[in-house]
Amino acid sequence: MSGLTTRTGSTLESRQMRARTALAAILIGALAAGSALAADFDADATINIGSLYEPQNLDNTAGAGQGINEAFNNNVYEGLFRLADSGEVEPVLAKDFKVSDDGLTYTFTLQPSVKFHSGEPLTSKDVKFSIERVTSAESKSSRKNSLKPIAGIETPDDATVVIKLSSRSISLPYNLSYVWIINDTATNLTATEDGTGPYELADWRRGSSLALTRFDGYWGQKPSNGDVVFQYFTEATALNNALLTGSVDIITSVQSPDSLAQFKDNADFTVAEGKSTTKLLLAYNDRVAPFDNVKVRKALARAVDDAKLLKAVWGDYGTLIGSMVPPTDPWFIDLTKTDGYDVESAKALLKEAGYQDGFSFTIDTPNYDPHPIAAQFLQGELAKIGVKVNINVITANEWYSKVYKAHDFQATLQEHVNHRDIVFYGNPDFYWGYNNPKVVDLIKQAEASTTTDDQTTKLKEANTIIAEDAASNWLYLYPQIVVSAKSVTGYPLNGLNAQFFAGGIKKAD
Amino acid sequence: MSESTIIIASVEGKKRRSWTFTIGAIIVGLQVVIGLMTLIWTPFDPSAMSGGRLGAASLVHLAGTDRLGRDLFSLIMIGSRIALTVGSGAIVIGGLIGITIGLLAAFASKTLDDVLAAGLDILIAFPTLLLAMLIVASSDGASLTTAIVAIGIANSAIVARLTRILAKRVLSMDYITASRISGTSWLGVVMIHVLPNIWPTLLVNLALQFGLAVIAEASLSYLGLGAPPPNASWGRLLQEAQATVYTAPLGAIAPGIALVSLVIGINLLADGLRDLADPTRRSRR
Repeated sequence: MSGLTTRTGSTLESRQMRARTALAAILIGALAAGSALAADFDADATINIGSLYEPQNLDNTAGAGQGINEAFNNNVYEGLFRLADSGEVEPVLAKDFKVSDDGLTYTFTLQPSVKFHSGEPLTSKDVKFSIERVTSAESKSSRKNSLKPIAGIETPDDATVVIKLSSRSISLPYNLSYVWIINDTATNLTATEDGTGPYELADWRRGSSLALTRFDGYWGQKPSNGDVVFQYFTEATALNNALLTGSVDIITSVQSPDSLAQFKDNADFTVAEGKSTTKLLLAYNDRVAPFDNVKVRKALARAVDDAKLLKAVWGDYGTLIGSMVPPTDPWFIDLTKTDGYDVESAKALLKEAGYQDGFSFTIDTPNYDPHPIAAQFLQGELAKIGVKVNINVITANEWYSKVYKAHDFQATLQEHVNHRDIVFYGNPDFYWGYNNPKVVDLIKQAEASTTTDDQTTKLKEANTIIAEDAASNWLYLYPQIVVSAKSVTGYPLNGLNAQFFAGGIKKAD
Repeated sequence: MSESTIIIASVEGKKRRSWTFTIGAIIVGLQVVIGLMTLIWTPFDPSAMSGGRLGAASLVHLAGTDRLGRDLFSLIMIGSRIALTVGSGAIVIGGLIGITIGLLAAFASKTLDDVLAAGLDILIAFPTLLLAMLIVASSDGASLTTAIVAIGIANSAIVARLTRILAKRVLSMDYITASRISGTSWLGVVMIHVLPNIWPTLLVNLALQFGLAVIAEASLSYLGLGAPPPNASWGRLLQEAQATVYTAPLGAIAPGIALVSLVIGINLLADGLRDLADPTRRSRR
């Protein structure tokens, strides 16, 4: 996997965790119906969701940005699997699947009587078409590389898909959760859609809103609302005001703790904190001196009081992390003690590395919050050990071309939103250029594991090594805060891959 | 700015000149003093985390502290220096380039004049910010210098157009022809006749450009295209305060007041200058 997603960048794969809550809500809803309880919510309600992430277009293989996952994943399009709000992978359009003993052949049986919004039935050909769209040369999907082991796709009958792999890939179901199943006759997918999800696209007003309406032919559990409208804002303050005045019901992800004050003590609103996978990183270019020296990287890690930075940016929210793996991943280990804050030992390490007089370097800093403030904080912290930091403010686009593509940087600040993105450290060509053959090998082996336990053990080991190597400086894990009007419940809480499953959202009468 | 000339030019308007010019001069003067003071002293080290997160205004921290606990008043004082530096730099560059090109166009042949005039119109049609972004993008990252150059170049087009029009008006006068016939060189004409006739209007225009340059600098910094951190430009302070505008509104209000007061001060000054320098305007009042 070499793609990644930043908040403003291309595809992002967070929020899938929310699926779980949505599913739970659906189940609870079904139970409630079974016990003949009167519905206390409006089944035809319009849910207005406020977001800062408007998609660039409607195709997640065409660089649409994280907003499209938020609006469309499991709302308009479904995959064979989905990443639930809990972080687990659940089957959706795949009713069942079998893996051959050598782990190289996956046979999927599709859900019967699934219809696309255009009315056509789902067949195995649509699945083949959809996977090949993601792996094609033109595709800009960040998951393209993770699907590389796919050697061929066969469709013996309409309800069966056989995927042949060139090497074992224990994450295949997980990776397939990023693949939207699209009708193979659909065209113009950047502006229209033809999926199987519980909602179909009603209206997209560029720069303003994206309206979805309940699809009556949906194969699964009917959503507990009638319409969902994503309303897009470019500015967080305007978005907060929209919630305060009731023009939106929910904010998918609050980006500043200070704006919460107006909702927290107000009985009309619910503030819910979930778990996010978004990490703020000071990523070094590990290819260039002095960052090719592990002692220097460790010294820099020890010189920065992450807790103080987290407090400055997020107040009482957020979590400290010691590596790239957040607590929601199965291979999480608490590594915050590795290279913990210790200025004296940082100085000693720098001396050992031959930089007793310090050095200076430039941090390429994206121009939006919290990067500039974090950069200034680092400037102050590193000055204490004699390291001079220059701040070069750049735009998101410049970051993409200068840092991500051209690797033309010394160090950079960036928020990494992806779920399970420790694998980026197994790719020596990734922008930060971390190259430890042991880690590359462990990550490769983990993917070829036969059991998840085996995979977890290997990735835990890799996780420990990257922390010991101080491959990057993991500053903190963002909180995921959803704020809603009191009358609205049933929304997903966690920030996995920016998904926001709307099917379970209920609005009180 | 040539106080003696102004007084001579406004014998009868002396009473009227007072308030706009004086108030403007006081505000700008105060900011200049503050800006210069930061070279040797600020209440706190601007990069030191001397207080708590988003501290309220107090006798210790006059404008409170930001998210990192830095003293905002010290940062705003430094912002004053940056605004004035960029403003002065931009009008020096804008003035030099603008007046030169404007005079050149006024003296040039019809064809060259048309080409220059069209060029200036295109440059003026370009928004200052866009031009600045282009300059920043084509240089090695944003800095105080790129901001000054970018704003200066954008200003120069407006100055050049004005200079051209004013100079042409003077050049069409009979006494210029007389002067040329009597053997004055073109440079002599510029120095003796053109510049002394057009400078009052130019000066007022440059003063107004100064105010616009201060705003342009704040806008560029707000967008991350101005002086990079830790240079405490007002625009950047505003940008950083945006995230906390509800809980700590002072963080946005304080640099906002500083910015607005300087621009108002400059505009009052320019207004006063215009009243003093332009006899027709004065008599109309």
